[in-house]
Amino acid sequence: MIEKWRLLDTGLDDAFYNMALDEAISIARSKGIAPNTIRFYRWRPPAVSIGYFQSMKEEVDIEACDKLGIDYVRRRTGGGAVYHDTEGELTYSIIVDDAHRLISNDIQETYRTLCSGLVLGLRQLNVPAEFRPINDIVAYGKKISGNAQTRRMNTVLQHGTILRKVNPALMFRVLKVPSEKVRDKLIKSVEERVTSINDVLKRDVSFRELKEALIKGFENSFKIRLVLGGLTDFEKNLAYRLKREKYITKEWNFKR
Amino acid sequence: MGRAIYKVKGGKMIKIQLALENKKIKDLRITGDFFLHPEETIEDIEKALRGCSLSKEELVRIIKETLTSRRAVLLGASPEDLARCIIMAGEKSD
Repeated sequence: MIEKWRLLDTGLDDAFYNMALDEAISIARSKGIAPNTIRFYRWRPPAVSIGYFQSMKEEVDIEACDKLGIDYVRRRTGGGAVYHDTEGELTYSIIVDDAHRLISNDIQETYRTLCSGLVLGLRQLNVPAEFRPINDIVAYGKKISGNAQTRRMNTVLQHGTILRKVNPALMFRVLKVPSEKVRDKLIKSVEERVTSINDVLKRDVSFRELKEALIKGFENSFKIRLVLGGLTDFEKNLAYRLKREKYITKEWNFKR
Repeated sequence: MGRAIYKVKGGKMIKIQLALENKKIKDLRITGDFFLHPEETIEDIEKALRGCSLSKEELVRIIKETLTSRRAVLLGASPEDLARCIIMAGEKSD
Protein backbone atom coordinates (compact mmCIF):
# COMPACT_ATOMS: atom_id res chain seq x y z
CA MET A 1 0.00 0.00 0.00
CA ILE A 2 1.41 3.34 -1.02
CA GLU A 3 1.85 5.85 1.77
CA LYS A 4 -0.68 8.69 1.72
CA TRP A 5 0.01 12.32 2.60
CA ARG A 6 -2.42 15.22 2.74
CA LEU A 7 -2.27 17.85 0.00
CA LEU A 8 -3.44 21.36 0.85
CA ASP A 9 -3.91 24.23 -1.55
CA THR A 10 -4.69 27.22 0.63
CA GLY A 11 -4.52 29.77 -2.19
CA LEU A 12 -3.97 33.46 -1.51
CA ASP A 13 -3.46 34.81 2.04
CA ASP A 14 -1.54 37.52 3.80
CA ALA A 15 2.01 37.00 5.07
CA PHE A 16 1.08 36.72 8.76
CA TYR A 17 -1.56 34.06 8.22
CA ASN A 18 0.68 32.18 5.77
CA MET A 19 3.50 31.92 8.31
CA ALA A 20 1.07 31.21 11.16
CA LEU A 21 -0.53 28.38 9.21
CA ASP A 22 2.82 26.68 8.52
CA GLU A 23 3.45 26.72 12.27
CA ALA A 24 -0.09 25.59 13.13
CA ILE A 25 0.15 22.59 10.80
CA SER A 26 3.56 21.73 12.29
CA ILE A 27 2.11 21.82 15.80
CA ALA A 28 -0.87 19.70 14.74
CA ARG A 29 1.53 17.21 13.14
CA SER A 30 3.68 17.07 16.29
CA LYS A 31 0.57 16.27 18.36
CA GLY A 32 -0.31 13.48 15.96
CA ILE A 33 -3.57 15.15 14.95
CA ALA A 34 -2.52 15.97 11.40
CA PRO A 35 -0.96 13.73 8.76
CA ASN A 36 2.25 14.43 6.85
CA THR A 37 1.31 17.33 4.62
CA ILE A 38 2.36 19.25 1.53
CA ARG A 39 0.82 22.69 1.19
CA PHE A 40 0.77 25.14 -1.73
CA TYR A 41 0.12 28.81 -1.09
CA ARG A 42 0.58 32.33 -2.43
CA TRP A 43 0.83 35.82 -0.96
CA ARG A 44 -1.76 38.60 -1.26
CA PRO A 45 -0.83 41.33 -0.64
CA PRO A 46 2.73 40.68 -1.83
CA ALA A 47 5.19 40.44 1.05
CA VAL A 48 8.80 40.27 2.10
CA SER A 49 9.78 37.50 4.47
CA ILE A 50 13.07 37.55 6.33
CA GLY A 51 15.00 34.69 7.91
CA TYR A 52 14.77 34.08 11.65
CA PHE A 53 18.27 35.53 12.25
CA GLN A 54 17.93 38.62 10.09
CA SER A 55 17.26 42.17 11.18
CA MET A 56 14.03 43.60 9.74
CA LYS A 57 15.38 47.15 9.77
CA GLU A 58 18.62 46.18 8.06
CA GLU A 59 17.11 43.98 5.36
CA VAL A 60 13.80 45.60 4.48
CA ASP A 61 12.93 49.08 3.26
CA ILE A 62 9.94 49.48 5.59
CA GLU A 63 8.93 52.85 4.20
CA ALA A 64 8.86 51.55 0.61
CA CYS A 65 6.85 48.49 1.70
CA ASP A 66 4.30 50.64 3.53
CA LYS A 67 3.96 52.90 0.51
CA LEU A 68 3.55 49.98 -1.90
CA GLY A 69 1.19 48.01 0.37
CA ILE A 70 3.67 45.18 0.79
CA ASP A 71 3.66 43.22 4.07
CA TYR A 72 6.81 42.17 5.91
CA VAL A 73 7.15 39.22 8.24
CA ARG A 74 9.82 37.24 10.07
CA ARG A 75 9.88 33.51 9.34
CA ARG A 76 10.50 30.82 11.93
CA THR A 77 13.15 29.40 9.55
CA GLY A 78 16.62 30.74 8.88
CA GLY A 79 17.88 31.86 5.49
CA GLY A 80 17.58 35.11 3.61
CA ALA A 81 15.09 37.82 2.77
CA VAL A 82 12.62 36.94 0.00
CA TYR A 83 10.17 39.08 -1.94
CA HIS A 84 6.96 37.09 -2.48
CA ASP A 85 5.11 38.46 -5.49
CA THR A 86 1.44 37.49 -5.79
CA GLU A 87 1.77 36.48 -9.45
CA GLY A 88 5.51 35.84 -9.56
CA GLU A 89 5.90 32.87 -7.27
CA LEU A 90 4.42 29.75 -5.76
CA THR A 91 5.26 28.79 -2.19
CA TYR A 92 5.09 25.26 -0.77
CA SER A 93 5.60 23.73 2.62
CA ILE A 94 6.35 20.18 3.64
CA ILE A 95 5.40 19.15 7.18
CA VAL A 96 6.57 15.68 8.16
CA ASP A 97 7.51 13.86 11.36
CA ASP A 98 11.24 13.58 11.88
CA ALA A 99 11.18 9.79 12.26
CA HIS A 100 10.04 9.49 8.63
CA ARG A 101 12.33 7.62 6.21
CA LEU A 102 12.83 10.85 4.19
CA ILE A 103 14.31 12.69 7.18
CA SER A 104 17.97 12.30 8.08
CA ASN A 105 19.79 13.65 11.13
CA ASP A 106 21.99 15.39 8.58
CA ILE A 107 20.18 18.63 7.73
CA GLN A 108 22.08 19.16 4.48
CA GLU A 109 21.12 15.67 3.37
CA THR A 110 17.47 16.32 4.24
CA TYR A 111 17.44 19.50 2.12
CA ARG A 112 18.66 17.43 -0.80
CA THR A 113 16.02 14.72 -0.26
CA LEU A 114 13.08 17.09 0.18
CA CYS A 115 14.22 19.33 -2.68
CA SER A 116 14.41 16.27 -4.95
CA GLY A 117 10.59 16.35 -5.11
CA LEU A 118 10.73 19.89 -6.49
CA VAL A 119 13.62 19.06 -8.83
CA LEU A 120 11.69 16.15 -10.31
CA GLY A 121 8.54 18.27 -10.61
CA LEU A 122 10.39 21.04 -12.42
CA ARG A 123 11.97 18.50 -14.77
CA GLN A 124 8.43 17.30 -15.60
CA LEU A 125 7.95 20.80 -16.98
CA ASN A 126 11.22 20.52 -18.93
CA VAL A 127 13.02 22.90 -16.61
CA PRO A 128 16.54 21.41 -16.18
CA ALA A 129 16.48 21.82 -12.42
CA GLU A 130 19.28 20.75 -10.09
CA PHE A 131 19.78 20.95 -6.35
CA ARG A 132 22.59 23.30 -5.28
CA PRO A 133 23.71 23.06 -1.67
CA ILE A 134 22.98 24.45 0.81
CA ASN A 135 19.33 25.12 0.08
CA ASP A 136 18.79 26.23 -3.52
CA ILE A 137 17.48 24.76 -6.75
CA VAL A 138 19.02 26.10 -9.94
CA ALA A 139 18.39 25.89 -13.68
CA TYR A 140 21.27 26.69 -16.06
CA GLY A 141 23.21 27.68 -12.93
CA LYS A 142 20.68 30.34 -11.96
CA LYS A 143 18.55 30.15 -8.82
CA ILE A 144 14.92 29.26 -9.43
CA SER A 145 13.91 28.12 -5.92
CA GLY A 146 15.02 28.88 -2.36
CA ASN A 147 14.17 26.66 0.59
CA ALA A 148 14.38 26.78 4.39
CA GLN A 149 13.92 24.21 7.10
CA THR A 150 13.24 24.10 10.81
CA ARG A 151 12.91 21.20 13.20
CA ARG A 152 11.03 21.28 16.44
CA MET A 153 8.80 19.01 18.46
CA ASN A 154 9.92 16.03 16.35
CA THR A 155 8.51 17.68 13.26
CA VAL A 156 10.32 19.03 10.20
CA LEU A 157 8.94 22.02 8.34
CA GLN A 158 10.52 22.89 5.04
CA HIS A 159 9.08 25.75 3.06
CA GLY A 160 10.30 27.42 -0.07
CA THR A 161 9.44 29.34 -3.17
CA ILE A 162 9.44 28.53 -6.86
CA LEU A 163 9.87 31.56 -9.10
CA ARG A 164 7.35 31.81 -11.91
CA LYS A 165 8.44 35.22 -13.08
CA VAL A 166 11.02 37.52 -11.60
CA ASN A 167 11.04 41.27 -11.11
CA PRO A 168 14.47 42.37 -9.79
CA ALA A 169 13.65 46.08 -9.93
CA LEU A 170 10.71 45.66 -7.55
CA MET A 171 12.76 43.28 -5.40
CA PHE A 172 15.28 46.01 -4.73
CA ARG A 173 12.66 48.61 -4.03
CA VAL A 174 11.58 46.61 -1.00
CA LEU A 175 14.92 45.16 0.10
CA LYS A 176 17.52 47.48 1.58
CA VAL A 177 20.54 48.21 -0.58
CA PRO A 178 23.86 49.43 0.85
CA SER A 179 23.62 52.61 -1.25
CA GLU A 180 21.69 54.04 -4.18
CA LYS A 181 24.84 53.80 -6.26
CA VAL A 182 24.87 50.01 -6.12
CA ARG A 183 21.12 49.52 -6.68
CA ASP A 184 21.42 49.16 -10.47
CA LYS A 185 24.40 46.87 -10.06
CA LEU A 186 22.44 44.64 -7.69
CA ILE A 187 19.47 44.54 -10.04
CA LYS A 188 21.80 43.51 -12.84
CA SER A 189 23.44 40.86 -10.69
CA VAL A 190 20.05 39.36 -9.78
CA GLU A 191 19.21 39.23 -13.48
CA GLU A 192 22.38 37.22 -13.94
CA ARG A 193 21.95 34.94 -10.93
CA VAL A 194 18.20 34.34 -10.74
CA THR A 195 15.79 32.87 -13.24
CA SER A 196 12.15 31.77 -13.35
CA ILE A 197 9.96 29.11 -14.91
CA ASN A 198 8.57 31.52 -17.50
CA ASP A 199 12.09 32.72 -18.40
CA VAL A 200 13.41 29.19 -18.83
CA LEU A 201 10.44 27.88 -20.83
CA LYS A 202 9.83 31.14 -22.71
CA ARG A 203 6.08 30.88 -22.17
CA ASP A 204 3.53 31.73 -19.50
CA VAL A 205 3.19 28.72 -17.19
CA SER A 206 0.01 28.78 -15.10
CA PHE A 207 0.00 28.10 -11.37
CA ARG A 208 -2.23 25.12 -12.08
CA GLU A 209 0.27 23.57 -14.48
CA LEU A 210 3.13 24.26 -12.09
CA LYS A 211 1.29 22.70 -9.14
CA GLU A 212 0.32 19.61 -11.14
CA ALA A 213 3.95 19.07 -12.14
CA LEU A 214 5.17 19.53 -8.57
CA ILE A 215 2.55 17.10 -7.21
CA LYS A 216 3.87 14.44 -9.61
CA GLY A 217 7.43 15.30 -8.60
CA PHE A 218 6.71 14.93 -4.89
CA GLU A 219 4.72 11.72 -5.38
CA ASN A 220 7.36 10.03 -7.50
CA SER A 221 10.35 11.25 -5.57
CA PHE A 222 8.93 10.57 -2.08
CA LYS A 223 7.07 7.37 -3.13
CA ILE A 224 3.82 8.73 -1.70
CA ARG A 225 0.32 9.51 -2.90
CA LEU A 226 -0.95 13.05 -2.27
CA VAL A 227 -4.64 13.22 -1.36
CA LEU A 228 -6.30 16.62 -1.57
CA GLY A 229 -7.65 17.54 1.86
CA GLY A 230 -8.60 20.48 4.04
CA LEU A 231 -7.49 22.12 7.26
CA THR A 232 -8.88 20.90 10.56
CA ASP A 233 -10.66 23.34 12.90
CA PHE A 234 -7.71 22.95 15.28
CA GLU A 235 -5.28 24.12 12.58
CA LYS A 236 -7.48 27.03 11.46
CA ASN A 237 -8.07 28.31 14.98
CA LEU A 238 -4.42 27.94 15.95
CA ALA A 239 -3.33 29.73 12.78
CA TYR A 240 -5.59 32.70 13.53
CA ARG A 241 -4.24 32.81 17.07
CA LEU A 242 -0.59 32.59 15.96
CA LYS A 243 -1.19 35.31 13.40
CA ARG A 244 -2.69 37.61 16.02
CA GLU A 245 -0.33 36.80 18.89
CA LYS A 246 2.94 36.26 17.01
CA TYR A 247 3.38 36.88 13.31
CA ILE A 248 1.63 40.25 13.09
CA THR A 249 3.31 41.66 16.21
CA LYS A 250 6.19 44.14 16.27
CA GLU A 251 7.86 42.10 19.03
CA TRP A 252 8.25 39.16 16.66
CA ASN A 253 8.94 40.98 13.41
CA PHE A 254 11.47 43.43 14.86
CA LYS A 255 13.00 41.17 17.46
CA ARG A 256 16.40 41.19 15.75
CA MET B 1 29.77 50.31 18.50
CA GLY B 2 31.45 48.16 15.82
CA ARG B 3 29.86 46.49 12.84
CA ALA B 4 31.14 43.96 10.36
CA ILE B 5 29.77 41.88 7.53
CA TYR B 6 31.40 38.65 6.42
CA LYS B 7 30.33 36.45 3.52
CA VAL B 8 31.34 32.84 4.11
CA LYS B 9 32.87 31.31 0.99
CA GLY B 10 30.35 28.79 -0.34
CA GLY B 11 28.13 29.72 2.59
CA LYS B 12 26.03 32.47 4.04
CA MET B 13 26.26 36.07 5.21
CA ILE B 14 27.10 36.97 8.82
CA LYS B 15 26.52 40.44 10.27
CA ILE B 16 27.86 41.44 13.68
CA GLN B 17 27.10 44.48 15.74
CA LEU B 18 28.98 44.76 19.02
CA ALA B 19 29.94 47.03 21.87
CA LEU B 20 33.18 46.61 23.82
CA GLU B 21 34.06 47.54 27.40
CA ASN B 22 37.64 47.19 28.64
CA LYS B 23 38.44 45.17 25.51
CA LYS B 24 35.75 42.64 26.34
CA ILE B 25 32.40 42.10 24.63
CA LYS B 26 29.73 44.06 26.45
CA ASP B 27 26.93 43.33 24.03
CA LEU B 28 26.60 41.81 20.57
CA ARG B 29 24.02 40.88 18.01
CA ILE B 30 24.58 38.20 15.38
CA THR B 31 22.35 38.43 12.32
CA GLY B 32 22.51 36.90 8.86
CA ASP B 33 21.01 34.41 6.45
CA PHE B 34 22.64 31.26 7.88
CA PHE B 35 20.75 28.38 9.51
CA LEU B 36 20.94 27.30 13.14
CA HIS B 37 18.81 24.54 14.67
CA PRO B 38 17.22 25.06 17.14
CA GLU B 39 16.93 28.72 16.21
CA GLU B 40 16.83 30.20 19.76
CA THR B 41 20.40 28.95 20.28
CA ILE B 42 21.47 32.25 18.72
CA GLU B 43 20.36 34.07 21.88
CA ASP B 44 22.34 31.60 24.01
CA ILE B 45 25.45 32.19 21.89
CA GLU B 46 25.07 35.96 22.18
CA LYS B 47 24.66 35.68 25.97
CA ALA B 48 27.60 33.29 26.35
CA LEU B 49 29.91 35.64 24.43
CA ARG B 50 29.29 38.61 26.74
CA GLY B 51 32.42 39.27 28.76
CA CYS B 52 34.56 37.36 26.28
CA SER B 53 37.74 38.91 24.90
CA LEU B 54 38.41 39.19 21.18
CA SER B 55 40.57 36.09 21.02
CA LYS B 56 39.69 33.77 18.19
CA GLU B 57 40.40 30.63 20.26
CA GLU B 58 38.20 31.81 23.13
CA LEU B 59 35.34 32.88 20.84
CA VAL B 60 35.39 29.60 18.92
CA ARG B 61 35.56 27.56 22.13
CA ILE B 62 32.55 29.32 23.68
CA ILE B 63 30.49 29.09 20.48
CA LYS B 64 31.29 25.38 20.16
CA GLU B 65 30.46 24.75 23.84
CA THR B 66 27.09 26.48 23.45
CA LEU B 67 26.29 24.50 20.30
CA THR B 68 27.20 21.23 22.02
CA SER B 69 25.21 21.96 25.17
CA ARG B 70 22.10 22.80 23.11
CA ARG B 71 22.79 19.95 20.65
CA ALA B 72 22.54 22.65 18.03
CA VAL B 73 23.59 22.54 14.38
CA LEU B 74 24.97 25.53 12.50
CA LEU B 75 24.69 25.45 8.70
CA GLY B 76 26.15 27.86 6.14
CA ALA B 77 28.72 29.26 8.58
CA SER B 78 31.15 27.74 11.10
CA PRO B 79 32.06 28.83 14.66
CA GLU B 80 35.35 30.04 13.14
CA ASP B 81 33.45 32.22 10.65
CA LEU B 82 31.36 33.76 13.43
CA ALA B 83 34.50 34.40 15.50
CA ARG B 84 36.25 35.99 12.54
CA CYS B 85 33.37 38.40 11.92
CA ILE B 86 33.14 39.24 15.65
CA ILE B 87 36.85 40.16 15.65
CA MET B 88 36.36 42.27 12.50
CA ALA B 89 33.55 44.16 14.25
CA GLY B 90 35.65 44.52 17.40
CA GLU B 91 38.50 46.08 15.44
CA LYS B 92 36.09 48.68 14.06
CA SER B 93 34.75 49.45 17.53
CA ASP B 94 36.18 52.41 19.44
